[in-house]
Amino acid sequence: MAKTSSAPKQGGAKKSLNDTSLLMLITVVVFVVMYLGAMLILKGGFLKPQAFLNLFNDNASLIILSCGMSLVMITGGIDISVGGVTALVCMCCAVYLDKMGGNVAVSALLALAIGLGFGLVQGFLVAYLEIQPFIVTLAGMFFAKGMTTIVNSEPFNVAHEGFKALSGTRVNVPGMGTVNKLGEYVNAYVEIGVVVALVVVILMFCMLRWTKFGRSFYAVGGNSQSALMLGINVKRTKFMSHLLCGLLAGVGGFVYFLHVASCAPSHASGAEMNAIASSIIGGTLLTGGVGNIVGTMFGVLSLSTIKNIVSSAGLGEAWWTGITTAAMLCLFLVIQSVVMSVRKKKQLGVK
Amino acid sequence: MGTNKVSKSKEGSLLSRMTRNQMFIPLAALAALLLFNLILDPSSFAITMDENSAGNPVLSGFLINILDNGSELAILAIGMTLVTAASGGQDISVGAAIAISGSVLLRVLCGSNTRPETLQAPILVAFLVAFVVAMLFGAFNGVLVAVFRIQPMVATLILYTAGRSIASWVNNNELPIIGEPSFGYFGGFIPGIPVPTPIFIAILCLVAIWLVLKFTNLRLYTQSVGINENSAKLNGLNPTFIKILSFVILGACVGVAALIKVSRLATINYGVIAKDIEMDAILAVALGGNALSGGKFNMAASVVGAYVIQCLTTTLYKFKVPSTALPAYKAVVVILLVVLSSPVVRAKLSALAPQAKRKEAA
Amino acid sequence: MKKLKWKLLLSFLLVLSLAGCHGQGERPRDERLYEDDVTSEREDYIVVGFAQIGSESDYRIANSASFRETFCAENGYYLLFEDGQQKQENQIKAMRNFILQEVDYIVLDPVVETGWDEVLQEAKAAGIPVILSDRSVTVEDEDLYTCWVGSDFEEEGKKAGLWLENYLEKTGRDEDEIRLVTLQGTPGSSAQIGRTAGFSQILGRHPNWQMLECASGDFTQSKGQEVMARFLKSYHDIDVVISENDNMTFGAIEAIEQSGRTCGPKGDIIVISFDAVSEAAFTYMKEGRLHADMECNPFLAPKVDEIIRKLERGETVEKIQYVEEQCFDAFMDLDAVMEERKY
Repeated sequence: MAKTSSAPKQGGAKKSLNDTSLLMLITVVVFVVMYLGAMLILKGGFLKPQAFLNLFNDNASLIILSCGMSLVMITGGIDISVGGVTALVCMCCAVYLDKMGGNVAVSALLALAIGLGFGLVQGFLVAYLEIQPFIVTLAGMFFAKGMTTIVNSEPFNVAHEGFKALSGTRVNVPGMGTVNKLGEYVNAYVEIGVVVALVVVILMFCMLRWTKFGRSFYAVGGNSQSALMLGINVKRTKFMSHLLCGLLAGVGGFVYFLHVASCAPSHASGAEMNAIASSIIGGTLLTGGVGNIVGTMFGVLSLSTIKNIVSSAGLGEAWWTGITTAAMLCLFLVIQSVVMSVRKKKQLGVK
Repeated sequence: MGTNKVSKSKEGSLLSRMTRNQMFIPLAALAALLLFNLILDPSSFAITMDENSAGNPVLSGFLINILDNGSELAILAIGMTLVTAASGGQDISVGAAIAISGSVLLRVLCGSNTRPETLQAPILVAFLVAFVVAMLFGAFNGVLVAVFRIQPMVATLILYTAGRSIASWVNNNELPIIGEPSFGYFGGFIPGIPVPTPIFIAILCLVAIWLVLKFTNLRLYTQSVGINENSAKLNGLNPTFIKILSFVILGACVGVAALIKVSRLATINYGVIAKDIEMDAILAVALGGNALSGGKFNMAASVVGAYVIQCLTTTLYKFKVPSTALPAYKAVVVILLVVLSSPVVRAKLSALAPQAKRKEAA
Repeated sequence: MKKLKWKLLLSFLLVLSLAGCHGQGERPRDERLYEDDVTSEREDYIVVGFAQIGSESDYRIANSASFRETFCAENGYYLLFEDGQQKQENQIKAMRNFILQEVDYIVLDPVVETGWDEVLQEAKAAGIPVILSDRSVTVEDEDLYTCWVGSDFEEEGKKAGLWLENYLEKTGRDEDEIRLVTLQGTPGSSAQIGRTAGFSQILGRHPNWQMLECASGDFTQSKGQEVMARFLKSYHDIDVVISENDNMTFGAIEAIEQSGRTCGPKGDIIVISFDAVSEAAFTYMKEGRLHADMECNPFLAPKVDEIIRKLERGETVEKIQYVEEQCFDAFMDLDAVMEERKY
């Protein structure tokens, strides 16, 4: 829990909260309250550190996808092809490893290449041909999903030894293990994908916050005309955001592949919507200009926590997940909308 | 979204030509697809008289198939065009809303028994209830968009996430089946009439919206709200109301489409019914050459766009493309179409004028 | 500011209405558990985690209902139910969750057969017995699960073949060229593999039976209808349709009738189905639109309950346990059968 408590401090340390930090702060607080609530009321698995780590284990790929999504959303665009790309990456890598006897490193490169390819084409169409990102990436999603079944329509589990070893690799987290009911000490662990996800989050966070390149994303999303006047290459920035998002979709796809170690056309279906929802809950505005990668990560964790709470409370029916996720999304959107309009009013008042 | 605004000012001269040409792309695409079919298999255009299971003579054939199956999409394209024009965004919850509306419809028809011997309520009553429910959900989306100023895509993401869950909850996750033959008329054939009923329903909806656009100010109001909300407000319009209205109209379209959908199967599958139809409906609007950032719209072009998509789908099915691989081919065609109709490409193709060149270089 | 207040009120109402949705959907049983302190209550009960596949068919719904009925508080159980929504990923997640919560038993109905070694190993390490229900898994070490309860799919497939053999003989068509198509279930599922294998055994004995095509209808009605419609367009002389579950059959019958052909004892296409779970299947047979239906008994929970009781007493249980199943056809006294069955 040490990680969660440090984040709000970081936001509070700044003298005046800007929009980005405020929306993120709300998300972090809600997440912490929700998790503590679950620990106090539902107890059970929530009391174990492993349950907290499992949030990361289950969502490593979603965190990466959501990071890419946030980048695009900050520039005012959207990318709904990430779920499709994930499925395609799984399928291609699985077929390559099992049916063509490839090796793991090449399969990882293959995943990156697929993601990069999607990013390139989509970025070009959006930025230089000025086609709406929604339509371009929708076509991208259709293409990826279709290609997945063209590559191979049957789901199967990967049997490649080297890959299985990598996929099963676990990083033990010291000091968080527990004793199970047989009296054995069980180490707490995270999967290798989690490490990748955290690296991605840190890299993207630093890029957005401290590099000129990263800050141009906000400028373009906030107001592309004034960004243009500031001498920012709007088209290039938009292109780069899609390129990065595509690349991260490739990375996320491979992490997903590591997690499930199988392929199926139905893999990661709806992941794009989960990524969008996570970004929004994490405080990214779809209009662009506002957003924070750490917030996005907490968006993912919050969504997953609410799902865990629902099932631990004995509401196993499939519809509960959908309804609670939507309710939470609705709540956050309304909070954001109200907060933003209050701020706007205040700002106008000051002027 | 932002992309169009940048280019809009520059394209003053092109704009007039583009509006004249707006029907061109969808019609040309439709013609090309039909030609493609004609060349590869001329017999596909034959319309034959077959007998269906009830022993009625019915029309069948490739063209009838397109018109029949494209009905829902065409109806949805009407509402989606209005929503796009008024709010500058798209509703991605129509598929989920169809699931809800269809589920409600079956629930009212079946009562508590999932396999009723007789219907528990007249079909008309059930339809009206489902219709009103669909409009209410439309209004829900509309309120989020217009009052809370949430972008339409994000606002409708809520219903998109919850819709199918709500639908299965309405029927307690059971799968009701309606045995009553008259319920199948809406998605099949009315005895004695050889033309599939959905075609009639679609025509009815199209005529209705045509009349509304012709005799009311809906078109003007919608477009002015979409082009500039503030100036519309200064001119005495109520943008909030117009936006909600457009979502409610889309809700009504959803209600009608849901009736056809559930009537076709006489049952419902919450996870699969009308899956991805929202994407097709948005594509129809885009293929019709309408700006997805709102403002001016051409209803006829959207409807033709809807039939283009259906024609593409049916063609691909005919050539035995498996339904799962279908989206890949669809994507290629869609990208070709939007690239061709993109202002930048058009400008480059049409003249290679120095101005356009300079813009490319920039 | 007035407008803001109005906005706040509206947002409150919106959230409330969504919350209202929750309240209504909750079943009384759940509500009680929700309010009480769950953990303290759970200690007196045998906690069973059930990782269900989903709710895609009538079979699955009846199966879930069976578990909910059997593993209730009155019988001394506390059931944690997880719907995997057709994805192995979700089911593995559910299993990890059960292990973390230290349930006493895990019941797993795996969506596919492979890829379970790791999580089963984890369950074993945590000392939680895993009982497989309905579908099975292929693992290197059979000791990873306690036992399997379910239907003998291969036997069902064989039964279907034998029924067809018998029927063709009765109608004097046993020497004719018979053209078949198969609507298969989700590829790789035990039911698909077993039923296909069982039927193939009988198919192999008859050189005059010609299998035109096998395609997957994914066990769903809409897909079944779609695939059947395609079959009917491609082949004009289909004699027999083997449909590997009822939902696909309903879709297939719809497609057959829409194409202007007829099926069932009174029609021209022989339709054989599997499951016989819902009343609808029997109604179809009574109406003469469906020839025969091989039962696939969804009420596995009582058997699982029996096994858990045995395990609690420290007894050993058999590795493979089949439930009883029958074959129904349109020529039986179906009213009497329906009377007998609880559903």
